[in-house]
Amino acid sequence: MTPDVAIALAVMAAVSYACRIGGFLLMRFAPIDAPRVRAWLGGIPIAIMGSLLAPALLKGGPAEWIGFAVAGGTYKATGSDIAAVAAAVLAVALVRTQL
Amino acid sequence: MAGQANPFSWRGLGAGFRGASAPAAGGFVFGIAFGLLADQVGLALSTAVLMSMLVYSGTAQFVSLQAWGDPIPLAAICGAILATNARYVLLGASVRPWFHGVGRLKTYASLFLLSEGNWAPALRERLEGRPDAAYMLGCGLAMYASWVSATALGHALGQLIPDPRAFGIDFVLLAFFTVVAAGVWRGRRDIAPLVAAVAVALAVGRLAPGHWYILAGGLAGSLVAALKVDRDA
Repeated sequence: MTPDVAIALAVMAAVSYACRIGGFLLMRFAPIDAPRVRAWLGGIPIAIMGSLLAPALLKGGPAEWIGFAVAGGTYKATGSDIAAVAAAVLAVALVRTQL
Repeated sequence: MAGQANPFSWRGLGAGFRGASAPAAGGFVFGIAFGLLADQVGLALSTAVLMSMLVYSGTAQFVSLQAWGDPIPLAAICGAILATNARYVLLGASVRPWFHGVGRLKTYASLFLLSEGNWAPALRERLEGRPDAAYMLGCGLAMYASWVSATALGHALGQLIPDPRAFGIDFVLLAFFTVVAAGVWRGRRDIAPLVAAVAVALAVGRLAPGHWYILAGGLAGSLVAALKVDRDA
């Protein structure tokens, strides 16, 4: 491995780790127990998931939309994340053979 | 919950390791895809595997591959990693209460492996009344092993897999995010944060390159949740 590759990997690792501990360290200065901070933290999960899913689904087509519905439906019905992911992937593959 | 120390046990570590099967399987498929692509871009096996071990972020690594060249455009790559991984700042902030009373080494080792893949199952575990902080680390270790070994396997496989899309394999991660969204859904009070997050994510996704839309949508949605605290409390 050449030095430039080694340096690049080290810097990339540092940037990546800084993102991971950055929010954690900032919270030292925030009152975690304040109702508003709790409400903020409580709102993060659905906000992140919505932000991840919506653009991807909009960019996708019928196969992705059906896969999304199958994943959500199977998870609601069975409570199993593996079953839901497997069913959704199968559904997406099947729909794509029809397109 | 603050003021009370969280447990950090071998049992929680094992439970997390076992609970990671779905995200670890998804990560494995993506790891193979990353290894394949790294091979095509011309990265040595050692470089690809080290990148997976050190950066440990699928989207950031894929973006880095796209920019990779000689000389290496390090500033552009770091900018891309920052844009992609800025969302971890939010995740990191949200786990602060989980590690109250847990030792520094354990905490910062756990944070090294922080991603949506182990954060979401650990969150679900806490919501179900099992606040063992080691769960996130256990889950992360399983995903880490899966990601790193899949990178090596993908690099070795070269171009043997004809078309991953035909098998729906590219949908694994989205399917997993869908399951997580269904799991964290808290009912009516999540409607406004979700609508705000989706609207902002779509708008920012159209205007800004990279993955800023995830951070923007996450911030917008969670701030809406914070603003309506008086009505929900």
